[in-house]
Amino acid sequence: MGSADESSESDHHAPAPADWPRGFGEASWWPLATAVGAAGLYAGAALALLARGEDAIVGPALPSVLLVGGVGIFLASLYGWTYHGFVARYWKRAAGDGLDLRWGMVLFLATDVMTFAAGFVYFFFVRTGPWPPGELPHLLSSLVAINTAVLVASSVTLHVAHESIRGGHRRRFLAFLGATVVLGVVFVGGQLLEYYELLVVEGAALTDVFGSAFFALTGLHGLHVALGVILLAIVLVRAGRGQFSAERHTAVATTSMYWHFVDAVWLFLVVTLYVGSVA
Amino acid sequence: MIGAVPGIVLAVALLGGLAAYLRVQRDPPPAWYADGGVISPTVGLTRTEKPSGVLRWLTTVDHKDIGLLYILFGTAAGLWGATDAMMMRTELLVPETVVWNVETYNAVFTTHGLTMLFFFVTPVFTGIGNYMLPLLLDADDMAFPRINAVAFWLLPPSLVLVRGGLISDVLGAVLGVLPIGVGALLALEPVSMGWTMYTPLSTEMANPQIDVTLLGLHLSGIATTMAAINFIVTIVTERPDDLGWDELDIFSWNMLVTSGLILLAFPLLGSTVILLLLDRNFGTTFFAIEGGGPMLWQHLFWFFGHPEVYILVLPAFGLISLILPKFCGRRLFGFRFIVYSTIAIGVMSFGVWAHHMFATGMDPRLRASFMAVSLAIAIPSAIKEFNWIATMWNGSLELSAPMICIVGAMSTFVIGGITGVFLAAVPVDLVLHDTHYVVGHFHLIVVGIIPLAMIAASYYWFPLITGRMYNQRLARAQATLLIVGAFVTFVPLLVLGYMGMPRRYAAYPAEFVGLNQVASIGAFVIGVSVVLWLVNLVQSIRVGPIVEDADVWNLKETGQFTREWQWFEDRIEKRRAERPLPDDHTGAESEPSEEATDPEKPD
Ligand code: HEM
Ligand SMILES: [Cu+2]
Repeated sequence: MGSADESSESDHHAPAPADWPRGFGEASWWPLATAVGAAGLYAGAALALLARGEDAIVGPALPSVLLVGGVGIFLASLYGWTYHGFVARYWKRAAGDGLDLRWGMVLFLATDVMTFAAGFVYFFFVRTGPWPPGELPHLLSSLVAINTAVLVASSVTLHVAHESIRGGHRRRFLAFLGATVVLGVVFVGGQLLEYYELLVVEGAALTDVFGSAFFALTGLHGLHVALGVILLAIVLVRAGRGQFSAERHTAVATTSMYWHFVDAVWLFLVVTLYVGSVA
Repeated sequence: MIGAVPGIVLAVALLGGLAAYLRVQRDPPPAWYADGGVISPTVGLTRTEKPSGVLRWLTTVDHKDIGLLYILFGTAAGLWGATDAMMMRTELLVPETVVWNVETYNAVFTTHGLTMLFFFVTPVFTGIGNYMLPLLLDADDMAFPRINAVAFWLLPPSLVLVRGGLISDVLGAVLGVLPIGVGALLALEPVSMGWTMYTPLSTEMANPQIDVTLLGLHLSGIATTMAAINFIVTIVTERPDDLGWDELDIFSWNMLVTSGLILLAFPLLGSTVILLLLDRNFGTTFFAIEGGGPMLWQHLFWFFGHPEVYILVLPAFGLISLILPKFCGRRLFGFRFIVYSTIAIGVMSFGVWAHHMFATGMDPRLRASFMAVSLAIAIPSAIKEFNWIATMWNGSLELSAPMICIVGAMSTFVIGGITGVFLAAVPVDLVLHDTHYVVGHFHLIVVGIIPLAMIAASYYWFPLITGRMYNQRLARAQATLLIVGAFVTFVPLLVLGYMGMPRRYAAYPAEFVGLNQVASIGAFVIGVSVVLWLVNLVQSIRVGPIVEDADVWNLKETGQFTREWQWFEDRIEKRRAERPLPDDHTGAESEPSEEATDPEKPD
């Protein structure tokens, strides 16, 4: 391989990595376990679809076993993997520049643009047709305005938090990071409230021509925000345990990129889906 | 009883997490990978720190091991897809539907397409890239070795989901002899909506296996995208400082552009199949008439689909550009222009998707502009072809097995490419669309170039990977047979298309029978040549002569002894130096030769 490993190898046994189950040198169980979990999740979802309706061809037990088991294994594996890879004995590890992880995040966000694209293209398709396609729900409420303000504010607080840790101000970093998590939770709550208003109070249709676009896009976005809150909370917990410094803040940087991206998608959503539907 | 299982599973998972948490820790390893793995100082050189047997393959994060897993998986999937193809060509031996029935034929052409595109071509190229890219780049490994592993392990379950209908039917038939209910297994039929999954057919077909297949495609898309991200990050960040962009080898360039296409194409397909799934199961209107309609499906699908054909073919172009000069004794002609043309193809491939939809009554002005771009995209492809020919010009050609494959690939590309240019012309396409002409066009590429490039790579690097040599005469015969088979199979399809034979039907008018039989015989020739390839390589892994001199292809003479061969040479030297290494299948029987070759580094 590369030049680094040309040193005499016989007396240079690879120290076992801090991993569990204890890997073999550079080998690891986590990727396989993660894949098994994901496979269980997908198989469970597939069987859950087969279990629907009157002429269901599988009972409800098997899909739920697979779903719960799959998600459990998936999350446990991710936890084991990332805990031992990033969190355990944080300060003893050599700090990389995190360049590859940043690149990874940028590329992931590029894929995410395309993930959202399908729903947006559908919306533009129907929006350029006869409009409105039916009765539109009441979209432009004060709730949306508040939610937007909350999300934009959270981007600002996160940016301040990131700048703080870069400058070595741990206190300020923690405070603004905490504020960001709170704002994120508020946004998710506001989104749930909006769904409640639309679906239950107003009785809007979930799957008509407009509802398909609206709930697919806002739902996908809501899932992104929820995941973002979880990621930020993890960063917060790690920060609370004294991790990160002016030189080492890759996780803060990548999570920020994700969060700002989700914020930008929301603004685009508001302009096209909310304002664009009635304007 | 069974209801308790989720709890048990969860408890086990939680216990596992807890044990992980409490695990006694040792000193930190020397270096860490970005995704949490560690670099061991002996990766790949010995197996001292790797477990042996099946454990090694289950836990490996070594790019070479994962590359081999990918290649094995892709080859197995390819053989499965090839079985579908043989079934189709058998049916088409006769005009009437007598061998299989219509449902089977429809299912077989659908699963053939899905298997070949998603589980054969891309995995095999990902495997070759995995093995070779870090060696070519002089990197320690891929940027994210563990993500590399997980991306691979997601593929087998996705293949099972996608092809579930057949698996469940076979299982049902086997278990049916037992006194248990197998109705659920038998209710899943192999999918038969065509690989393009056009709505409204795909929304209206009742077969519940379609839902399972869509989920499988989604999972495989995630896996493919993860691998693509890994390749890009590896190429961008893992190169040593002295390897600038201008020195990046041509195969890595092609993998880079391919990965860029995957990055934008596959997530869109992922979302699109999920929308279809929602339409099928929850009454959304994405592709319903009152909603987006069938045209939306076609736009979204082909916005993925056209880049997909270049995702398939660019790595093959890369392999051709890499290997061809080695057997011409010359440098690649116009290296820069080949790189530019690769990038140009990558960019333009997102602007031509609607040429698959010329016959749908779209706006004629749009049609004309898509026609213009589609004609233009032939230019960068032609640049490659001309550069290859120029590379051979006045070279001292050596018709070894890899070279035969490559010359064959270049010649099929002439016909495959030019027939595409005809299709890109709207008036021609209106006549030929949905005929066997289209099948002939793209198969001259997907059978002509892609497997030939893969096989060229397998013959070229086989000694490096296994440390053994294969039977070269058999290999040359096999390559020739494959080329002949490709022409005999697919040129008649072009003619049949001109005569108006539609594609995707199990039966056809009796007047077409002659050419169909020729095509079927050609297909069987391809099948035989694939078996010969398999037998040769499997047998050679076991008992082939051991390679003592790393310069298998006399590359030092022409100054083309590139990094991966240098690595191979170092490895042979090392093994000689510290013989005996009893656990090593290549070094085990090798006697240290007295005339140890002097390693001369070309760069
Ligand atoms: C030289 C540049 C090329 C041009 C101008 C071109 C043009 C076209 C056109 C216009 C069609 C639509 C035919 C129809 O359905 O009516 C088509 C179909 C197709 N082409 Fe190409 N093509 C080119 C290269 C390629 C390459 C390199 C590949 C594969 C690696 C490829 C694979 C396909 C496939 C798979 C289809 C059929 C899709 C389907 O309907 O199932 N083409 N091509
Ligand atoms: Cu195309």
